Amino acid sequence: MAVGPRALEVTGLHVPGRLARAREWWEQEHVFGYGLIVPALLLLTCLVAYPFGMAIYFSLSDYWVGSPGGFVGLANYRDILANDVFRQTIQNSFVFTGIALTLKTVLGVWLALLLARDMRFKRLIRGAVLLPWVIPTALSTLGWWWMFDSLYSVVNWTAIRLGILSPPGPNWLGQSAYAMAAVITVNVWRGLPFFAITVLVSIPREFHEAAEVDGAGPWGRFWHVTLPLLRPVLAVVILFSTIFTFSDFNIVYVLTRGGPVNMTHLFATLAYQIGLNGGNLGQGAAISLFLFPLLGAVVFLQLRYIRKE
Amino acid sequence: MRATSRREFLRAASGATAGVASWLALGKAPAFAQKRELTFLSWNHFVPVSDDELRRQAEAFGKLASCEVRVDTIAHLQMPAKIAAEAQSQSGHDMYRTAGADTFLYEHLHANVDDVVEKLGKQYGGWYPFSAEMAKTKSGWKAVPWFWISFPATYNMAHFKKAGLETPKTWDELLKSGRILKRQGNPVGIAISHCADAHSTFWSVAWSYGAKVIEADGKTPAINSDRTAQVIEWYKELYRDAMEPEVLSWDDASNNRCILAGKCSWIHNPISPYNAALANKMPIADEINHHNSPAGPAGTHSAPPILGLGVWKFSKNVELAKEFIQFLFRKENFDAWIVASNAFNHPPLKNLADHPIWARNPKFAMLPKEAEFAHPRGWPAKPSDAVQRIDDNYILADMVAKAVNGMPTKRAMEWAEQQVALALKGQLKVG
Repeated sequence: MAVGPRALEVTGLHVPGRLARAREWWEQEHVFGYGLIVPALLLLTCLVAYPFGMAIYFSLSDYWVGSPGGFVGLANYRDILANDVFRQTIQNSFVFTGIALTLKTVLGVWLALLLARDMRFKRLIRGAVLLPWVIPTALSTLGWWWMFDSLYSVVNWTAIRLGILSPPGPNWLGQSAYAMAAVITVNVWRGLPFFAITVLVSIPREFHEAAEVDGAGPWGRFWHVTLPLLRPVLAVVILFSTIFTFSDFNIVYVLTRGGPVNMTHLFATLAYQIGLNGGNLGQGAAISLFLFPLLGAVVFLQLRYIRKE
Repeated sequence: MRATSRREFLRAASGATAGVASWLALGKAPAFAQKRELTFLSWNHFVPVSDDELRRQAEAFGKLASCEVRVDTIAHLQMPAKIAAEAQSQSGHDMYRTAGADTFLYEHLHANVDDVVEKLGKQYGGWYPFSAEMAKTKSGWKAVPWFWISFPATYNMAHFKKAGLETPKTWDELLKSGRILKRQGNPVGIAISHCADAHSTFWSVAWSYGAKVIEADGKTPAINSDRTAQVIEWYKELYRDAMEPEVLSWDDASNNRCILAGKCSWIHNPISPYNAALANKMPIADEINHHNSPAGPAGTHSAPPILGLGVWKFSKNVELAKEFIQFLFRKENFDAWIVASNAFNHPPLKNLADHPIWARNPKFAMLPKEAEFAHPRGWPAKPSDAVQRIDDNYILADMVAKAVNGMPTKRAMEWAEQQVALALKGQLKVG
């Protein structure tokens, strides 16, 4: 027998109101599930997908600050490739990332192994190691900028007093090789804690004892036990660091602004120079997107490798 | 603290997301404060007290016009990018400090200020032509010239005395004296890097040798010439014999530091180091002096920084901004501002330039003379967006830097010529 609303009223039970029905609809698994991820999706769309789409659109058009231009296809990419400053920037980026990443990996693992030892003030030391990673980059780089200053370089002063360098010492930010060394140094200084601490938490201990019992020396333990077990973590850390290093902006912008004579420009700083300072948004976007296919491939390959592991 | 339930969190999060979404859809930031507020983007002045005085006047105007005036100041080298961002998003401050030919770069986005310019011009005996040119576009006055900064030689008297040298009258004499001064441990300091001073000096030296970057028609590149080659050769010798490689890494404050540290003997720079030495009671203030910018075979020429006040067309406070500008130009206010900057800010209006501050100090007495040979960048061509892009992209500094780093002069000029040509087409390409 069908029971109408009237009958329910008579029995004193609640009629399912509009609110209750909405709630019922909302609480269905497929609705509620998607509902939960909608805010995140919206944020991603607004803050990642939208700017990214705009960047692609800019890079394919003759767009200047404040004055939109027509579609020009790949002309911006062709133009930047024909320019020696851009080609120099490609070279700089690979030198910068290659050297900085190698140093960070080697020194990072080394530092992690040192930190893994039992020692006094372990927590304090580990906390201190994280500092360069915690301080805002722009601020700490200003400190480095002052240390590399042509007139007041504390680096030169110390090295000259210790007899390592002859006065006046290198001109850190004014000569291309030294300037590159300076930006790499700061990048390594800043990125090292990220490597060290991430690796530190994944250093396997239990196997060490087993290996030691089996008679493995320190080098053998590192090479045959620690390193193979660290490999997945290292792969992820190197992946992230590759992206961060390639796209570095603050360090170069504060230290050298791409100079001397564009010898330390990276993609991000050159894109800023051309796109915003120079007003050519189209080319700025093309420069910043130039590495996207390459980095995309690196990410793809590394993620596949990690999954396999 | 009460824990937030899942539902509350979701509600708040979706509310925030919707808020951000509607903000993006509307294309403008939500109005948080309803009180009338005038916002002004300026630079960090090289004489900080000048900014204090500006803020004081802003507050005084706020009381008069019953509004808030917010003066935001940022590092001068960040101005071009910040202005570009505001122009692109058509939002931000109501007015800003224009530099060089910004007015031409953003001509279509600036409100017309003809009425203010004409009124002030009549009131104070007319504008200096070089400062007026920076603000008058084909579509009218798009900025009010605000002040200009004399760009003389700043030198250390003790260094010259020790070397038994007179101050250089010409760029060639500077090279000759510089060789001796460098050997004495007191090099010359002219930036060859991505900074504003590098340009101010280059334009000045280039004109003095009769070189031009653009022809008077404003359409033809003129940089690839024997005259420019002479300028580059001069730079090469100066760099090698009278300066140190540090000039390739300099920013606009580096030469100030170099002379204040007692190292540099001669820099091409406004009077800011002297003012800083006075303000900080540094003994070196006694040694620092100024003389007019040197001459070349084609006479004396100067490319002083010329600053203006531009009002964005998208501002809702255009009229209020114009009133504020006139307030800044009241005689008592402008005088107070000159005094605060200790003679650094030169008025673009002839009658305001009578201020006794220059005549009173013998170290400043020659500064107003710089106006006699000042031109806007790009001269003999009129200022244009292309000229501004040439400066913003550091084409001239890079040309010299390439040459002093070993690129043959001819090739460096050809590179610059190509860049200038692209800038003129409105299509400045990378570099």
